[in-house]
Amino acid sequence: MLKQSLVMHTLEAALETGADFAEVYAERTKRNRLETVNGIVETAFGGVDYGVGIRLFFGNRVLYGYTNDMTEQSLIETARTLAAAQKGTQLQKLQPYQPYIYQNRNPIQILPNNVEKRKKAEHLFAASAAAAAYDSRITQTKASFLDVTQEVLVANTEGVWAEDCRIRSRFSIEAVASSASEKQSGHLAQGGSVGFELFSQIDAEQMAKEAAHIAVTMLGANHCPAGKMPVVIENGFGGVIFHEACGHGLEATAVAKNASVFAGKLGKQIASPLVTAIDDGTIPNAWGSANIDDEGTPTRKNILIENGILKSYLIDRMNGKRMGMLSTGSSRRQNYRYAPTSRMTNTFLAAGDTSVQQMIKDTDFGLYAKQMGGGSVDPATGSFNFAVLEGYLIRNGEICEPVRGATLIGKGAEVLMDIDRVGNNLKRAQGMCGSISGSIPTDVGQPAIRVKEMTVGGRG
Amino acid sequence: MNWEDIQKKVIKQALDMGFSDCEMHYDKTEAFEVMVMEGEVNNYENSSTQGIAFRGNFENKTGYAYTEQLTEEGLTDLLLTAKENAQLLFETQKETLYPPQKQYPTLQCENEMLERLTPEEKILATKKMETAAMHTKLPIASIDYCLLGTYRNQTAIANSLGLSLSFCRNNATAYVSAIAKNGDEVKTGSDFWKGNDWKTFDPTKTGKRAAERAASHLGAKTIPSGKYDVVLDQAVMASFLGVYSGVFYAEQVQKGFSLLKDKIGQKIAADCVTLHDNPLLENGYVSTPFDSEGVACYDKAVIQNGVLQTYLYNRKAAEKDGVSSTGNGFKAGLQAPVKTAVTNFYIEKGTKSQETLLQDMQNGLLITDISGLHAGANTISGDFSLLAEGFCIENGKKTYPVEQITIAGNFYKLLEEIQEVGNDLFFAQSGKGAPSVRVTKMDIAGE
Repeated sequence: MLKQSLVMHTLEAALETGADFAEVYAERTKRNRLETVNGIVETAFGGVDYGVGIRLFFGNRVLYGYTNDMTEQSLIETARTLAAAQKGTQLQKLQPYQPYIYQNRNPIQILPNNVEKRKKAEHLFAASAAAAAYDSRITQTKASFLDVTQEVLVANTEGVWAEDCRIRSRFSIEAVASSASEKQSGHLAQGGSVGFELFSQIDAEQMAKEAAHIAVTMLGANHCPAGKMPVVIENGFGGVIFHEACGHGLEATAVAKNASVFAGKLGKQIASPLVTAIDDGTIPNAWGSANIDDEGTPTRKNILIENGILKSYLIDRMNGKRMGMLSTGSSRRQNYRYAPTSRMTNTFLAAGDTSVQQMIKDTDFGLYAKQMGGGSVDPATGSFNFAVLEGYLIRNGEICEPVRGATLIGKGAEVLMDIDRVGNNLKRAQGMCGSISGSIPTDVGQPAIRVKEMTVGGRG
Repeated sequence: MNWEDIQKKVIKQALDMGFSDCEMHYDKTEAFEVMVMEGEVNNYENSSTQGIAFRGNFENKTGYAYTEQLTEEGLTDLLLTAKENAQLLFETQKETLYPPQKQYPTLQCENEMLERLTPEEKILATKKMETAAMHTKLPIASIDYCLLGTYRNQTAIANSLGLSLSFCRNNATAYVSAIAKNGDEVKTGSDFWKGNDWKTFDPTKTGKRAAERAASHLGAKTIPSGKYDVVLDQAVMASFLGVYSGVFYAEQVQKGFSLLKDKIGQKIAADCVTLHDNPLLENGYVSTPFDSEGVACYDKAVIQNGVLQTYLYNRKAAEKDGVSSTGNGFKAGLQAPVKTAVTNFYIEKGTKSQETLLQDMQNGLLITDISGLHAGANTISGDFSLLAEGFCIENGKKTYPVEQITIAGNFYKLLEEIQEVGNDLFFAQSGKGAPSVRVTKMDIAGE
C-alpha cells in the first residue's frame, strides 16, 4: 500500500524528534452495505476508507496523528507536527525491517468485491420473504448484508513490517410483529472472517423464521417480573455476560491505570472454579480473528481465567510498557482514525459438562434467557447490564411462559463467583464492541450457564 | 486536491459517464485531542481528514458511494461504485436533486479565538481540570479520563443543478471522569464542557463537579423492587430523547417502525411537554443552516403542549407524504447515506427547580444515571429496562445513594405520564436536551 522508502523516511523523521518508538499504520478499506426494508432495497451504499495513522512514544506518552493524504510530504509533516512540543534529540535508530511472513488463517473462498450486488440482494429478498411468511402478525422486516475488505500495513521503528487483509461478512435479519397497539421485534445476525461463502455456511431463511418467532412470541408475552432470581443464560450470544462482566475489565486499557476491579488480581481466584475463559484471535475464519493485531503483533490464544484463577490480561504495547508486561497480541482499532489499544477478539467461556436441560431441571423458579441483546459496563466499578431479547420463566424445573423486557444487571466480580452451572454446548456469536479505540468486530461465546442469583430488571 | 477542484472534476466525470445529474458532499475535519494523567500528557492526537460522498442518478436510479481516497484512482472507483449501487434499485427509487433555495439562514458557528489557542494553553487547561478533580476533600482515588479536544469542520455540498453551499464550525470539548473509592466500593462520576467560546470554560469547575458526582454516590444501597415515583435528572431525560428520536422521523413512521402513525394533531404527551428541533439555536452543539440535502433549516415544535405537530422529514419521506422537507435530511458521516436526524432536540424548560420537583414528589427516587440504552431500550415497542443509579428521596430531600437497580417502562407512556417539567434545561454533547422531569409510579427492580 505504501512504498518501503516512504515508510522509512516517515519513521526516520519521527525518530529525529527524539521519540523512543514510532509506528505507521496504513489502511485501505472497502465496505459495502446492502439493506432491505420490507423486501425492497433501501440502502445500497459503499465506499473506501483510506488513511494513515502515525504513533510516537515518548516515555509513557503516546502521540497520535492521522491523515488521508498519503504523500511522503504529508506523512513527514504529520509526524513532525505531533512531536513539535517535544524538542528532543534523536535517541533511537531505525531497525531494519523483518517482514512477518505467515500462512493466512482466514482464507476466503469468494471475495465479496467480486460478487455482483444483485446476488447479495437476492439472499436478503429470500430471508425477508421467509420472515414475512412466518406469521400474519409479522408486519415489517429488515435484512442487511455487510462486507468489508480491510487492507492494513503496520511498520515500526523496531523492525516490524506486517500486512494483513481482513475480509469480513455479516448477515442480519430483524422481524417486527404488530398487534393493534403494540410492536415487538426479533433480531438475529451471523458473520465471520469469510467472504460471500457466508451464505452457504448459514441458513439465512431459517434465521429469518427464528427472528419472526421471537417477535411473535414476545408480542404475546407479559412483562418479566422484577427482582433477584437464578438465571439460566443460553449459549452463543449469552457470552455477552462474560464480555461485559469481565472481559472489558481485563483489558490493559483499564488495568494499567488501575481503573479495573480486576487490577492486581493475577493468580487470584476471581471466578467460580467452573469458569475457564479464553480470548483467541487465531480461530480460523472467526469474526474477531486476524493474522496480526493492529500493532503488527501476531494474534494468539490467551487463557484469561483457568478454573476460576486469573491467568492473563489482554495487553497492547503501550499499556504493556506501563504495566511492565508483554503484548498479548490484543491491540485493536476500528480504523486509522484511532490509536490502537487492548481489546477482545473472540472471547468465550470453555465448555463444562452439564446439559442445559439439567440446569433448568435444577431450578425451582427463575429466568431462562434464550436470546441476548447487547450490554455495557463501567470497568472501574464493574457494574454491567445487558438485555434479554427472548426470555421464559422457569417454574418447578420446567420452561414456562415467555416474558419480555428483562434486563440483567450486576457487578462483574460478584457474578463470576455466582456461576454455579456450566453447560456442554459451547457456541460463539458475532457482535460489534465499542470502546476507546472505536467499534470492532468481536465474537462472544459460552455454553449455557446458570448464575445462582441475579437482579432481573422487569416490571411488576 | 482541494474541494473546488474535486467539485468540478467529479461532476464533469460523472456526467461523462452517463449520470444524468449528481451531487457531492465534502467533509474536512481538523481535530486535536490531549489526555492528561497524573499531571502529565499521556495521549496527544492531531489529525486532518477529508473525504467526499457522492450520489447520482444513473438510468433513473440513484446510486451512492463515498471515498477518502482523493486521488484519480479513488475518484474513478467512487463513480463506478455509485453506478453499480444505482443499478440495484428500482426506478421508483429515483431521488431528485435539490436546486438551490433563494435564501439560507446565516449562522455563526466558528470562533476565531479558538483557532488561535496554542497546544500549550490547551494542555494547561486540561491539567488544571485534572488537578481540580483530584485535589478536593473528597475520597477521589484516581482519574479515569481527563481530556480536551478541539475540532474544526467544513461541510460543503454541490450539485449539477448549481447548488453550492459551505459551512464551517469549530468547538472544544473537555471531559473528565473521576473514580471515588471508599474501602472496596468504587464509584465514577463525570462532567464535560463543550462550546466555542473558550472564555466560558472553567476547568476547575468542571473537574470539581466530576469529583463531587463520583463521591456523592458512595455508600450506595439497593432498594426493594416495586413501583416508585421518580424525578428523572436532566441528563437522563436527554438520553431518552436521544434513543427515541427516531419515532418522530417520517421515514420510520412510513415504514411502520414507529407507533406515531396517524397521530398528527393528537395528544401524545402531557400538557407540560413541548419538544423542539432547533437547528438555529444560538450556541447549540449541532446548529447548522442547511441539512445534508441542501434544504434550509428552521426551528420547529415537534410536540406543542402535548400535541404532535409534525414528523421530521428528509426530502424522500416528504415527497411520499406530499409535504415539504423539514430540513432534517442528514448523513451520519460520509460513510452513511442521507437518512433523518435531529439537531438541537430538546424539551422546553418549565418554571420549577429540581429541588422543587423533589419537594413536590416527597417520596421516591431521583434517577441520575442510566446505562445500556443501546441494548435495553427497544426503539420499536418503546419498552425499556435499564440499569440505573440515583438517590433515595424522603420528605422531598436526598437521603442516600441508590445503585444496582433497573428502571423499566415505555417511552410513549413516559411522555404521557410526565407530571412536571423543571427549569434546568441541559444539553448533552449530542445536542439532545431536557430539563428534569417528574413521573409517577415507574417500575424499579432491586432486591
